[in-house]
Formats: sequence, structure tokens, C-alpha cells
Amino acid sequence: MSLRLLVLASLALLACSGCGSGGHEAGAVVRVTERDFRISAPRHVRSGDLLLSVRNRGPDAHELIVVREGSRLPLRRDGSTVSEERLEPVIVGTLEPGQPGSSRKLRLHLAPGHYQLFCNMSGHYLGGMHTKLVVG
Amino acid sequence: MLRRRQAFRPFATRGRRTIAGILATFALFSTLTVTVSIWATSGSRHRASVLEVAARQRTLAERYVKDVLLARAGAQADPALTGRLLALSADALLNGGVAPAVNGDDDETLLPPASGVTVRAQLRQERRLVRDLTATGSAVLARRPATAVKLTADERLTVRDPVERLRVLSALTSNVSLNAARTIGAEDDRNIGRLIVIEVVLGAIGLLTSLLLAFGLIAATRRQTAHFRSLVTSSTDLVLVFGDGGCRYASESVATMLGHPEDDLLGEGFAGFVHEDDRASVCAAYAHGEPHEIVFRVANEFHEWRHLEAHVTDLRADRQIRGIVLNARDVTERLRLEEELTHQAFHDGLTGLPNRALFRDRLDQSLARSKRSHEGLAVLLLDLDGFKQVNDSLGHDAGDQLLEEVARRFGEVTRPADTLARFGGDEFALLLEGANETQAVAAANRLVRNLSEPIRIAGHELGLGASVGIAMHAGGEAASEELIRHADLAMYAAKEAGRGRHEVFRYDMARELGELLGLEHELRLGLQRGEFSLHYQPEIALDTAAIVGVEALLRWHSPTRGSVPPAEFIPIAEATGLIVPLGEYVLHEACAQTARWLRNAALPEGFVTWTNLSGKQLSAGGVSALVREALEAAELPAGFLGLEVTETALVQEGHAGERARAELQELHELGVRIAVDDFGTGFSSLGQLRSFPVDMIKVDRSFVQGIEHDAKDAAITANLVSLAHALGLLAIAEGIESDGQLTSLRELGCDLAQGHHCGTPMPAAAFERWLSGVRDKPVGQRSDALGEV
Repeated sequence: MSLRLLVLASLALLACSGCGSGGHEAGAVVRVTERDFRISAPRHVRSGDLLLSVRNRGPDAHELIVVREGSRLPLRRDGSTVSEERLEPVIVGTLEPGQPGSSRKLRLHLAPGHYQLFCNMSGHYLGGMHTKLVVG
Repeated sequence: MLRRRQAFRPFATRGRRTIAGILATFALFSTLTVTVSIWATSGSRHRASVLEVAARQRTLAERYVKDVLLARAGAQADPALTGRLLALSADALLNGGVAPAVNGDDDETLLPPASGVTVRAQLRQERRLVRDLTATGSAVLARRPATAVKLTADERLTVRDPVERLRVLSALTSNVSLNAARTIGAEDDRNIGRLIVIEVVLGAIGLLTSLLLAFGLIAATRRQTAHFRSLVTSSTDLVLVFGDGGCRYASESVATMLGHPEDDLLGEGFAGFVHEDDRASVCAAYAHGEPHEIVFRVANEFHEWRHLEAHVTDLRADRQIRGIVLNARDVTERLRLEEELTHQAFHDGLTGLPNRALFRDRLDQSLARSKRSHEGLAVLLLDLDGFKQVNDSLGHDAGDQLLEEVARRFGEVTRPADTLARFGGDEFALLLEGANETQAVAAANRLVRNLSEPIRIAGHELGLGASVGIAMHAGGEAASEELIRHADLAMYAAKEAGRGRHEVFRYDMARELGELLGLEHELRLGLQRGEFSLHYQPEIALDTAAIVGVEALLRWHSPTRGSVPPAEFIPIAEATGLIVPLGEYVLHEACAQTARWLRNAALPEGFVTWTNLSGKQLSAGGVSALVREALEAAELPAGFLGLEVTETALVQEGHAGERARAELQELHELGVRIAVDDFGTGFSSLGQLRSFPVDMIKVDRSFVQGIEHDAKDAAITANLVSLAHALGLLAIAEGIESDGQLTSLRELGCDLAQGHHCGTPMPAAAFERWLSGVRDKPVGQRSDALGEV
């Protein structure tokens, strides 16, 4: 009884999320893959609404921060993380750390410009986890 | 309801099985729960040590960088040791094993191998990073270019400064260590969550199963209780359970039998219905469980006493009952029947008076009392005069009515303290306690006087007398049987002296009566010794004077008494029952003799040997079998044998009469001739005679003797002869003594004749001679008669 209810409810939810993504004026889906210690993403995307589908392939946990900054990012005094405080005005989106194997979505509205995607876990930026994105 | 259920033992095998099932379910699910818990938590053992070691890696990585920098600056530091600790710990975290002590303030720790794909991937990454870190550190210390160190963990370091590289690698190592520790923690949370779910599911299933079993058990128990209850309630046995406060349970059968509502029986109510005299024993039985067997009376709704026979069982120690159980049966009917049977055994069924056995018992008691008190007593024996005739002529039903009336009349003149009994037949007895001879004689007179008033039975006025024998006992010791015998002898003496008399026993009577008794004894002996023989008296046809048959007549020649006339011994033989073996002898001998004559070809056509059957013989039954047996033994055709029966024997009423007639009918059909003896003296009517199996009637000698001179006798004889002819029967006249009688009979149309004038009774050999010698002589010349008996 309860099991059947559960199945029905989850089916309904799935259907809903499907309508949501299709029904909204959702822009292009951008696939982003994170792994130790690399972020793979397209180099160019069209401006407007974007849905970042972020998949973490591990083994470590990773976060994702999107900033409108084309040049080298400022570091904190510890020398191993990017100073998000100084980048505050240009941060356009963040995803909290996701476990290996997880998939997360990030909805963005990007104006044309130069952007960077990076993971700001300790040492990860310097370890190579950043990539550039040009929105045209 | 609840009280009632206590009276049963509720669980049978089924109940025990169900309980075992419940216990097994509990055991199974407990084991499963514990196993699952152990399995689920086993991964979390040493988790604190693992977490501690994982967290320590972060510190070690930072310390390693510091040590390298210090060592490079020439300060005292051992980066190699720190690096080794890092590597060993990383290895222990991944594959299990001993994690080394780091500062001396902690101990070596034994770690289990890491489980879980994510954790192991992270720990492998950590190990690679540690390797890269220590390799870079070594390069820095050796002042080799750090960029030349080959990196193994996919790092893409853009910084070229060796120290910076070292710092980044340390940060990466710290980070992955931290995340590995977090993953381990998250895994624990997941395990605990899973455990909770499993335990809840298992618990629910176990509980559900147990509930189902328990419901099943309750249902089974209910059924069983109902089953037992219906067994108890439908049984005719009465079940009562007593405890503190009286009756706790009474089966429905009790309420049904007694007709009281169940509530009235419970509590102290039951004792109220018990008979006052029995109450004490019943109360004792249900208070103490003893005696084990009781019989008591209980009043039913109609206030009748029912007798209950109860078996008492003390089940106070039985936890299911905790009471005393009475299993009772209603034995009222049985007791009533027993009482009736006892009464029957000691009372005469016809008159309701005590019988001989009870009389003897009372007499014994009286004699016992007399022995102590030396008081006298009297025994009176009464025999009715002329009862036999009433019985023979009016039938047994009339005889029975007469006896009842006699018993009533005797009862009128006896005191309640006296015992009046019927010994059987027409013999009564009276016991007078504390009586002397005068009183006994007065009682005898009263009895006889009260009987003298005529009694009306079956349309006849009957005047009865009684002969009374009195035996006195003066007190002291005596045997009851002797006293009765004395009274008996006195009664015989009274009868001998004439009817309606009484005699008191005297010792010289014994001698006189011994004479009579001696005759019986000799008769018996004579039968054994073959002192009896048959004589044959011829019967002739009146028209042709031809011999047509003989009448076989019994003779007794006693060695001490000489020839004894039948008139003397036949009554004694009849009274003692010796008539039956005598009758057998006559039949066998007559058949055998006739068969011998037949074989000698001495017999004329249609010859019949007639024998006499006594009424007693007929009443006793078995005549048919006896006759057939005699015929077969002699190999004599049935047509050669004739049976003479008296008129009264033929018409007697009741079962014995029916049977006698049926037996005669049977023999008649076989070919045996039947004649009615002494015809005209009895009570038989024309109609009756027609329905009887009769071939011939015998006109009594009393009519024949007067036939010449007495017109009345002649008329009667004429009538009898024409009656016989009208019914298709032959008529024979007996007792012919003269030619005149012979002529008269011939004129009347009588068929046959018998008498001294025609031929005297003679032995078989003489008859044979006579037969051949006189066959052609005229009847009138046969005057060698000696006299018929």
C-alpha cells in the first residue's frame, strides 16, 4: 500500500521535473564535468539562460563557482584558495561541494562576456580545477 | 461465563503448537534483528580511530611542509619521518593495518580496511597526493627542480615555485583527507538509517506474525472451550463444581434435570435443594472432597426427590479448576427398579402378599426374638378346599380372581403385626407372633369363617372352605423350616379329617402322614424297578362285534403292597408330578406293544390302541414331541395310536390350554386319534367341541349303567350319541356290564362299546390269545370279565 503510494509519488515528481525543464524558457544545457583536478566544459556558449548540468566524477568532492572575470583570479593569503570576497561583484553562480558521482544543476542567465568556472576547495584552483567560458 | 470456563483445561495440542509458533517467531525475528544490527554496525567499529587517523593526515600534511621548510633553512626538523608517517597512515586507512603513533601522546592504532567505493577512491587519491607531496618535499630538500617531480594524482600545477607547489599539494592532501573523513561519517549515517528501516520492517513483520498466531490461538481456544462445554452440557451426566462460596458451576444437564434455573443452583443455593438427611454428607463431600462416592436426594421443580449417585473428585490443587467436582448420575429409575425387583423377589405377584422366602425370613427373625424373649409364636398353613376344581372347570383366570379375593378376606381378619403370605397355588401361611394355642385356633376359625361367605367369580357363586394346619412354638430355639413342615403335616391331617377343619400339630401325626409320603417314595422306586405294566381292554364295534381297538390301562404291582389300585396311586402321582414319567412309560409301552402286534399281523383293519393323557401331562406341555418320539421309537404308524383326554383338560383356559390344544391339533394332523373321555360330565359346549381336533367321544359309564332302567340316562346317552354323529364323531360307551346295555346302545346307534361284558383288561400276551380265540364268537358270550378298573 504505502510502497505503491511512494512509487506513484516519485513518478509524479519525475514527470513534474520533466515538465519544469521543458516548460520553462530554459536555455541551452551546458554539460560540465568535474574530476580531480580538471573541469571540462564547452569553451563557447550563447548568451542568455543556461542550465549547467554539473557532474562530479570524483574522487574528491568539488564545488563550482562561476565568475565574470576573464583574467587570473586573486588568491587569499593562505595561498591555496581564491579570494571569493574580492570576486564578490563578479560571482554569477555557485554550487556547494557535491559528492563524487553526484549531478547538480545550476540555472544562469549569462550576458555576453568572459567567464571562468572553478572549484575553490583548498588547493583545487591551483591544482588545475578551472576553465574559461566565453559567452557570445 | 468466566467462572464456567475455569472448569475446563483449555489447551490441547493445537494450542501448545500455536504458542510454540509464537515463541519461535519471536526467537527468529530477535535473531534476525540482532544479526542485522551486528552486520550493519560492524563497519562502524574502530570508526573513531579511523576518523582520528583521517583527520590527523591534514595536520601531518601541513607539518610536513613546515618541516621541509625548517630543514631547508637548517633548523632541526625531520620531514622524512613526517612524510613516512603520512604515507603509512594513508596506507593503513586504505588497506587496514597499524596506523603509527605520531606524537608519542597517542598509540599505534589497528585500522580495518576501508569499505565503500567512494571512500576507497578518495583514500587512493590521498595516497597518490601524499606520494606527490613527499616526492616534491624531497626534491625541495635536495634542491632539485620541483617541476621535474612526476605527479601521479592528475594535478595540473601551474605554479613553478617549489615551496608553492609544496603548499598546493599539502592543501590538496588535506582536502581529500577531510573529505574522506566526511564520507566515512556520512556512510555511518546511511548505515544507521538503513538499520533503523530494517529493524522497523523486521519488528513489524514479527509483530504481525505473532498477532496472527495469537488470534489463531484465541480462536482455537474458544472453539475448544465451546467443544468441551457442549460435551459437558449435552452429556446426561451431571457436572457440579464446588469451591469457596458453594456451587460455582452446574452443567446445563443439572438445570434441565432438576428444572431449576441455573442461578438458583449456584452459590449456596444447591444445598437448599438437597434432602435434609443427605445434606450433611453432600456438604462434607464438596467441602473436603470426601467421601468419594455419595448417593443423595435432590428436589426437582415438582418437589419430587431425584436420587443422584455422585463421584467426588478433589481438584482443588488443579489450577484449571480449583474446586471439588461432583460427577453425578440420576439413578432414581434404577433405584426404583431395584426396589421393585426386591419387592417382586419377596412378594407374590398375584396377591401382593409376602412369598415363601419373605415368610421364612420373617419367621427366622421372629424365632430369633423368641429365643431371647421366650415368647411363643404360631405358624398357620391354609389350603383351600375345592380350589382345584374351580381352577379346572372355570379356568385359571377365575382361579386367580378367587385367590385375590381369598387373600383380601384373609387380610381382613389378620392384625398388621402378623405376616400373611402365599406359598403358591392355593396355599397360604400366617405367622402369629407372641400367640398361644388358643389364640392361634381362634385365628384359624376367624380365617375359615370369613371365607364361608360365597364368593362370586365368573358368574358362579362359590363357597370355599380351607383346611388349616397349626404349628406352635413355645419359645426358645427352633428351626423355621421344621415349624413350617409341622404346620404342613397338621394341614394334611386336617384335610384327611375332612374339609374346613383345623388341626394343631402333634408328633404322632408325623407317623400317619409318613404313610402317604412313603407311598410316593415307593411309587418312584416302582417306576425305576419296572413294577408297572399295561393291561389292554378290548373295544368292539356294536354292529359287527369286531375288535376295533384296545384301551391301555396302567397297573402297579408293588412287592410290598401287592397290586395297588390306580385310584390310590394316580392322585399321588398327579400331586407329586410322577404322572409325567408314568405317562411317558404308558405311551412308549403301548406304542411298542401295538407295533409288535402289527408285525405279527395279528391286528384287524383300523385297530387303535388308546392311551390316557392326564390333564397335568397336557398342561405341562411337550405332549406332541413325546408322542412323536414314542411312535418313532416303536416305528408305529400314527393311525394306530389314540389319545384319550378328559373334557376338562381339553377346554382349560389360558396359555397352557391353548398350547395343549395346539399340540393335540398337531398330533391329530399327523394321524393320531383323539377321544374325549368322560364326555358329558364336564362343561364343554357344542361349539367348543366342533373346533377341537376330536375323532371320538366316550360316553361316561354313569350314563351307561342306567341306560336300561333310567329314562333320563337313556335320553342323555341318546343325545350324546346323536350329538357325536352330528359332529361327524364316533361314540363309544364304556362300562358295559350286560347284554341288555349292549342291546340298548345298539338301538341308540352307538358305534363302539367297551366294558367287562365285552372283554376285561388283560396283559398283552393274554389279549393276543384272546384275539385269536374269540375273533369269531358272538359278543354276548364273552363273559369272562373280572371287572374293569
